[in-house]
Amino acid sequence: MFLSFLIFLPLIFAFILGGVPKKKLLFPLALSFSLLEFLCSLFLFLKFDSSTAALQFVERIHWIPSIGISYFLGLDGLSFWLVLLTTFLIPFAILSSRRSIQGNQKGFFISLFILESTVLGTFLSMDVVLFYIFFEMSLIPMYFIIGLWGGPRRVFASIKFFIYTMSGSILMLLALITLIFMTRSLPGGEISASLLDFYKLKLPFVAGEFFTTSSLLFFAFSLAFVIKIPLFPFHTWLPEAHVEAPTAGSVVLAGVLLKVGAYGFLRFVLPLFPQAVEHWSWLFLLLSTLGILYGALLAMAQSDMKKLVAYSSVSHMGYVMLGVFSYNMAGFSGSLFQMLSHGISTGALFLLVGMIYERTHMRDISAYGGLASKAPLFSIFFILVSLSSIALPLTNGFVGEFLILLGTFTSPGQRPYAFVAVLGVILGASYMLWMIHRVFFGTLGAKLRSKVEKESLSLDINLREKITLIPFAVLIFWMGIFPNHFLSWMRPSLKHLIQNRYNYQLSVLDSSSSSKKGEEKKENHFVVSKIHSKGDFKEDARHHKRSFP
Amino acid sequence: MTEASWVDFLLISPLLVIFVASLLPLTVSVLKPHTRKRPIVFVFCALIGLFSSAGLLLSFFGVQKNLFHKALIFDGLSIGSSLIILWITLFTLFFASESLSTATDKFAEFVFLLLNSALGMMIITWSNDLIVTFIGIEMTSLCLYILMALSREETLSKEAAFKYFVLSSFASAFFLYGVSFIYGSLGSTYLSEMAPIIGDLLSKNRLLLFAIGLVVMGLCFKVAVFPFHSWAPDVYQGAPTPLTGFMATGLKAAIFIALLRWVGTGFLLGETSQSLSDLIQWGAVLTMLAGNIAALLQSNFKRMLAYSSISHSGFLLMGLLAAGMGEERSLGAYGLLYYIFAYSLMTVGLFGVINLFEKRAGSEVNLQNLKGLASRYPWLALCVTIFLLSLAGLPPTVGFFAKLLVFYATVKQGLFWMAICAVVSTLIGVYYYLRPVIFMYKNEELEEDSIPKEGSFLETLESKIIFENESLSLQSEALSSRKLTCFLVFFSAFLSFTIGLALEPFYQVMVVALKNWL
Repeated sequence: MFLSFLIFLPLIFAFILGGVPKKKLLFPLALSFSLLEFLCSLFLFLKFDSSTAALQFVERIHWIPSIGISYFLGLDGLSFWLVLLTTFLIPFAILSSRRSIQGNQKGFFISLFILESTVLGTFLSMDVVLFYIFFEMSLIPMYFIIGLWGGPRRVFASIKFFIYTMSGSILMLLALITLIFMTRSLPGGEISASLLDFYKLKLPFVAGEFFTTSSLLFFAFSLAFVIKIPLFPFHTWLPEAHVEAPTAGSVVLAGVLLKVGAYGFLRFVLPLFPQAVEHWSWLFLLLSTLGILYGALLAMAQSDMKKLVAYSSVSHMGYVMLGVFSYNMAGFSGSLFQMLSHGISTGALFLLVGMIYERTHMRDISAYGGLASKAPLFSIFFILVSLSSIALPLTNGFVGEFLILLGTFTSPGQRPYAFVAVLGVILGASYMLWMIHRVFFGTLGAKLRSKVEKESLSLDINLREKITLIPFAVLIFWMGIFPNHFLSWMRPSLKHLIQNRYNYQLSVLDSSSSSKKGEEKKENHFVVSKIHSKGDFKEDARHHKRSFP
Repeated sequence: MTEASWVDFLLISPLLVIFVASLLPLTVSVLKPHTRKRPIVFVFCALIGLFSSAGLLLSFFGVQKNLFHKALIFDGLSIGSSLIILWITLFTLFFASESLSTATDKFAEFVFLLLNSALGMMIITWSNDLIVTFIGIEMTSLCLYILMALSREETLSKEAAFKYFVLSSFASAFFLYGVSFIYGSLGSTYLSEMAPIIGDLLSKNRLLLFAIGLVVMGLCFKVAVFPFHSWAPDVYQGAPTPLTGFMATGLKAAIFIALLRWVGTGFLLGETSQSLSDLIQWGAVLTMLAGNIAALLQSNFKRMLAYSSISHSGFLLMGLLAAGMGEERSLGAYGLLYYIFAYSLMTVGLFGVINLFEKRAGSEVNLQNLKGLASRYPWLALCVTIFLLSLAGLPPTVGFFAKLLVFYATVKQGLFWMAICAVVSTLIGVYYYLRPVIFMYKNEELEEDSIPKEGSFLETLESKIIFENESLSLQSEALSSRKLTCFLVFFSAFLSFTIGLALEPFYQVMVVALKNWL
């Protein structure tokens, strides 16, 4: 019941907020609700068993058995951190919209809570149709957040975001239905949309032929997630959406919604189509490498701070995809870690850009300059977060990118991609540092000075903003210095995914079926030893981590 | 051949009740002329008929019988479709009684015609005989012509009525022409008698194929399938809003259920008529695309919905095809039936809202004057949002589950190319369904400079011609007198939002209702 509680609590909050009559009450109520949700989600730490790859907190109720749909929730190491990241970011999104959201605050908070609920549902559903429903539903509040509280071109941006994302996902729906009908051929013969039954399907893959069931399904799934991530060249909706979205919208979009794409790869594409992934990995590696470079180069050319951060997202998410397709422990854990750290650091960057925009109403880099003298505290935070985005050692960004590059480098045949992707790190440093140079150092920008003098602005951050930023700063160092605190929770699931590359199964953690689980493990081990006899890189990432600090 | 027994008369009592109830308003208005000023009296008369008919239908649940020498069929499908039609009629009655363009001093006649039109639709869904189908179609259409012309609004609705009359008569003539050929070739017009022999004859007799083509064409016209759709936007826009809702849902439901019966007996789309099924596939795809693409360019809300209703016809045709070929045809039938149900639910509700918005007869609801609606009428705006999301097929609304079922059926039959075309048209649909939503929730004051020119050329042109700067505003007293309409709208919005989640019981009911369909 706990997962349902987590998913539906924000919905209840949204209802309560809908009935709040006083405008003054809205912000404190919304904030405390979101914190309450975050605290509830922390309960997962207590109960989550990080030693097993099996699904936990499972809830399964037949919903529409005639067409195989069930209400099936579960949590494992793949989704654990993403759930926590979601509940963690929402309070800060609300904090940041205290002043920046002027009209119809109530609607905004309601949208945010519905968004939180649907995103949590996406991460937690283990039934594919349920997953699709949450996936699609999460677009609606985001559509409103961009379309109603966004910048001048918001209507265009929101519709583009919606249609772009939906064009992938609705093709995926067709693929899902195809797979649902295939589950009838399984022993048992029941029609089922459960992901666990999907994993049992063995789709024959013919290498080199595009128009086969397996390939087409693989591409239908990949397209949906690739658009969501977004991978080059499907990224064009992202900068538009980010630039037009309000700060809170950008934080959630970059922090959480993009991760749904990468999560989808780990949850759906890799286990369901292992041969197709193997065969087509060159394409995705190529696109992610191109995305890393292209995103970084475009970020360098931007004059708008928010757009710069948006393009840096494209670049960072390219790394995530690189890690996903490296297919070894270092790459996988790097990917998941990078998702988290990107959520933290890009979320913080959007918050920071939002803070300064709130004061000056300028996002043009050229309008700034010498900000460090006017807003020292703000500058410290900004530079810290930028360094984490650059992937400086001791910050969270370093761990993720290092593991991903290590994974790609050691994966057979992928070394060239690693060589090229490393360039992205250099480019990342250059666009970030260049922006810092232009915004914070040098002489005070003319426009900025006239604004400061005319309106006697205080540019530095206030208490509310300090409270907003300190947790991010703490997390940046915590994740950078003690990555194992985070990696250990996801490791069993990732290991399970690697070891059972060609026959991935997921069991349900249940006290009564512990003996059965043992059997399965034995079986898996047998198959693994058969397939991986050529000695892939299977080394545990733990070994590398010891040398970090 | 057996004589018609009393059981036959008992089973058609739901139809008879409707007819008797339709006479009540006329009688009352003659006996007590002062009631003419109070339309609610006539609504009450009609309600008696509707509810007793529904009650009778429900009490006969589970009965399956051929009536009157197989002219009519009574089975689960007849009950289900009749209930949908009664539901639509109920809504239309209330909306019409409060709409300025229909609540005239001829409202008694209006109720009479409306109930008879509904009766015609029910006959269409019950019929096992092409001639009876024709009678049903004519009964419905003739009533609709007059209903449209009865509107208080002068030019547009008269034009719509006349256009509909002329074109629809042509279609009826084609239908009848086709029936005559069919009788000539097969010696029967009963579906159940034709079905076993049609397969052999179809390969030898090209004339029969031609005849079936004509018959299908006649029906396709009535539901505005692609090449025969051009009447729909004009008529839907011109007709009084409650009637538009009635036509867009009731007639469509009736005709598609008639087609479902044809498909079920194998009269249509058997294994042998490959060319016909190809033709219908193309028709479905082109209908979806044509409707949705044309809807993109509309600025009038009602006209936009007319085009969207065309595209929904395409979706329904897709379900029909899935019900007509291959194995497990029942899946397609469930999809089609559920889609009809969902479509009726949301479309009737949406037209109800438009009816509320129309300040006076003939005033137009344009996308531009939807602006800022949410700040004045948050609940109504919420309803419109739900209806539009549901029409666009987004979860968790009933529209999504309807689309899901149709996709299930299509994928099961391997009609992937159609499914992909449906996906494309759904995406186009999302664009024009979601735009009004944003318009409603926008604040007018802030907007002037910031809206990018995203509208089409046509839209700007139209807005120049019909320069109506007044935005919609309902007087508060007008709103209070429309409480019942509001309630119905809220109710159907609530249902559209939530009832999809309870798909399972509906599915079980459909399984029972369609038990005898194959």
